[in-house]
Amino acid sequence: MDYKRDIPLVITFIVGVIAVMDYYTTFSAVKETFTIIKNWGVVLQAFALGLGAANLFRVHGKRISDRKTSEWYFSAWLLFMLIVFVVVGLGTGQFEASSQYKWIYNAIFLPLGATMYSSLAFYMAIGAYKILRARNIDSFLLFATAILVILGNTPIFPATFPAFFYTREWIFTAIVGGAYRGIRIGIGIGAVVIGIKTLIGMETGYLGRR
Amino acid sequence: MAIFTEGRIVPLIAFVLAWVATYLAIQIGKEGKIRIRRLPGLDAIEEVVGRAVETGRPIFDIPGRGSFTDLYATQTIAGLSVLSYVATLCARLGAKLYVPMSRVDVLPVAIEIVRDAYRAEGKLDELDVETQIPYLSGTQFAWASGVIGMASRMKPAANIMIGPFWAESMMFAETFHRVGAMQVGGTARMYQIPFFAALCDYVLIGEEMFAAGAYVSGDPNQIGSIASQDWYKIVAIILSVLGMLLATANITVISDLLKL
Repeated sequence: MDYKRDIPLVITFIVGVIAVMDYYTTFSAVKETFTIIKNWGVVLQAFALGLGAANLFRVHGKRISDRKTSEWYFSAWLLFMLIVFVVVGLGTGQFEASSQYKWIYNAIFLPLGATMYSSLAFYMAIGAYKILRARNIDSFLLFATAILVILGNTPIFPATFPAFFYTREWIFTAIVGGAYRGIRIGIGIGAVVIGIKTLIGMETGYLGRR
Repeated sequence: MAIFTEGRIVPLIAFVLAWVATYLAIQIGKEGKIRIRRLPGLDAIEEVVGRAVETGRPIFDIPGRGSFTDLYATQTIAGLSVLSYVATLCARLGAKLYVPMSRVDVLPVAIEIVRDAYRAEGKLDELDVETQIPYLSGTQFAWASGVIGMASRMKPAANIMIGPFWAESMMFAETFHRVGAMQVGGTARMYQIPFFAALCDYVLIGEEMFAAGAYVSGDPNQIGSIASQDWYKIVAIILSVLGMLLATANITVISDLLKL
């Protein structure tokens, strides 16, 4: 018996069956048990967060002490900011609700996230440029459809020529909708089957190839 | 008091039938009677790893940023199954593998999977977990910029990203494309599939990624289980067509039944 493999499989099966029963049945004992399991999950995730922080310190601490690459000062900055966030959060006693914590979050973290998110527009434009080239009949159809959807999404065109709006709607409901549902049904079935395989211990890839 | 939750009796029957179908498919698979179509995206992984060895450049495997406790857990499991396969190939052929992680609960599992693969190939001493499986950040764009930075500096030969992805999918696909990496993408997140289709060399669309673990294992039992997906799909198509025809005739028996 391989305990390192079999014990996780047994735990997966028991927890999985309780989760399934919680969804389909009304037994209060099952619902209470599943609530406890979900709470355990939250606690485990909190521990995992500590593991992540420890991992960051270990990896970046080593990088700073080695100074082999020119990016070591980025590691120093990362650890510095990590400590600042923790100290401000704990020091005020109000954690993320404190005004100081909110300030550094809103003034530093949020703008950086928004900047990265907005850069997506350029990535999408580059991607669209690469793919929207009418090289053959298939790519021409894709190109023509994309142009119609773009025109239908740009306020000035439907406002001037309502046909653009209706064309876009027709593309979405009649053409995209059918394909979308087909893929969605396939995804749903695939997810159910992999869920069942995980429950019965057939899907063991997540445990490594033992 | 009702035993079953209202509106979930038919879904429960469907779930039990899916369970039976999966069991039957596995039994038929054991006899080697099931043949499945080739998935070029998964067949290409060995070639991709070989290319990385030839060019002396690293290979990236990104299992997405889903966890084990959210809606996308099945996609995460599918991504980790592929990671297990990729790590085995990398250890066997001698390619340097990088797995930049975003979720702290998936991190230890990913580390164990890669470690197991290297151990099985007798090359555990070649694995540097801290450098090769770094935890970059739990925040979407901090993680994304970390991955983009790594890709720009290391110029990997290949990138395999199978799992749940969000807005970062386009950033990754474009960055790895720009550095000349061969890419295999796969996600069941509908909005991200077009991004992968636009820029990846091979794409696993929808349910194909759920079959990936079984497909790459080459195990007849596992391959058999893929067949049950197709059986269920056939039933779904029959029900859809029947429902469409009956609804057109104003007979709502199927939609009423599904509401039970």
